[in-house]
Amino acid sequence: MIQLFNVVKKYGSGSPALDDVSLKIEKGEFVFLTGPSGAGKTTILKVLFGWENFEEGQVLVQGINVGKLDAGNMHTLRRSIGVIFQDYKLLKNKTVFENVAFAQEVTNRDRKTIKFKTWEALKNVGLTPKKDSLPAHLSGGEQQRVAIARAMVNAPPIILADEPTGNLDQEISLEILKLF
Amino acid sequence: MNSAFQALLIGFQATIANVRANMQTFLISIATISISIGILGIFLIIFFNLNGFLVSWNQQVQLIVYLNDDISPAQKNNLEALFKDSSRVQSTEEVTKDRAWKDFRLSQAEKSGMEFDLGFNPLPASYKVRFKLSDNRLTHISEFAEKIQSETGVESVEYGKNWISRFEKFMVFCRVFLMATGALLSFGLILIISNTIRLSIYSRQDEIELMLLIGATPGFVKIPFLLEGMLQGLCGSILSLGLMGVIYYYLKSEFQVSIESIARGMDFQFISQPFLLSLVGLSVLIGLVASYISTYHYMQVLNKR
Repeated sequence: MIQLFNVVKKYGSGSPALDDVSLKIEKGEFVFLTGPSGAGKTTILKVLFGWENFEEGQVLVQGINVGKLDAGNMHTLRRSIGVIFQDYKLLKNKTVFENVAFAQEVTNRDRKTIKFKTWEALKNVGLTPKKDSLPAHLSGGEQQRVAIARAMVNAPPIILADEPTGNLDQEISLEILKLF
Repeated sequence: MNSAFQALLIGFQATIANVRANMQTFLISIATISISIGILGIFLIIFFNLNGFLVSWNQQVQLIVYLNDDISPAQKNNLEALFKDSSRVQSTEEVTKDRAWKDFRLSQAEKSGMEFDLGFNPLPASYKVRFKLSDNRLTHISEFAEKIQSETGVESVEYGKNWISRFEKFMVFCRVFLMATGALLSFGLILIISNTIRLSIYSRQDEIELMLLIGATPGFVKIPFLLEGMLQGLCGSILSLGLMGVIYYYLKSEFQVSIESIARGMDFQFISQPFLLSLVGLSVLIGLVASYISTYHYMQVLNKR
């Protein structure tokens, strides 16, 4: 499902952020990437969904050779991955419902399906009562749950979560992890 | 619902959101477009009216063949035969010495209110030759005038050749000037609109990045900005041409009589409908090109990370 072969990624002329990284993740596996700050965890995720280029090696996701994918076709890769960002990346001017629906709008789904799937996703993360709230009026845990609902709403085969509980306390972190 | 239509609808909603978020910049851009299209429009109106003059004068041009006083009846018959044989000649009118003198005295009396009498008639007899309307009417007149001039019994020919050719050269200059102004203004508009769209893109940078991250196609991301550029072009040109139309009808209702008397009954024209549509189309196209440049540039920057 996911394979990295001797991947090297450099930022500028300094030491590489990823130095000869190889890994293999099979379907159904739940994998944690751990390491100190600056170890390159986020960089690996960004390489996987084609947000960062890499200098050497090969990356295969769902049979797609990420390094050879041009910008015009990058959406085919990204539609097979649901990403939960460290900083949530929620749109401030859209409600909870609209934020989750947005992930489907960009894939050109019809209105009826969007409404139904969004409702389902919000129900799964227990946020239906807050569907009309703006992100600014939500707690950190609630925002994280919106981000999870958005990542899962299209039922992608791969979910990448970048420190999904990094900004939350232990009690809420456990609640969040139960969602996966 | 058709997915392309839905994408367009979402794009249009995003365009409206962009416009609302950057209303001031949007209005400034529209005002700039209006001024530029207005300048182009004024030049077009001037050009149309000058061209109208030229066409009208061209239609009035006739060849006057002045005859020697001692022309024989046979020579006159020969000239009349030449007129008849030419397929381009519409009609001829003979003006005798006496009639020419009478007409001249009458016109002088009307102008100055004085009787004019020299005691002899200095004017020659002549033929007024009118030509059929055709594309190269002036060339035909010129060719025919050269042919007639060499005939015996003809003193001279007259049809205002130098004056008309000078005016035609001026119209060619006007055309070139219009095209150069149009190109220059279009280039300026592209720069202005592309900068406005760039501001719009930066104000929605987070949203654009998110769209791409969650699987939007580049086309889906570009559509709202392309529509915004086109909307700016459309609004700017309609505003400008609408204002010009109002000013035109005001001027026409107030000064039509004066214009008619100056321009010998000619109507004061506005920009013709095909040109109006072309101006709106050009403005929309400029908006599209300008916004395409901005979005293309931004996507290139994103892809190079």
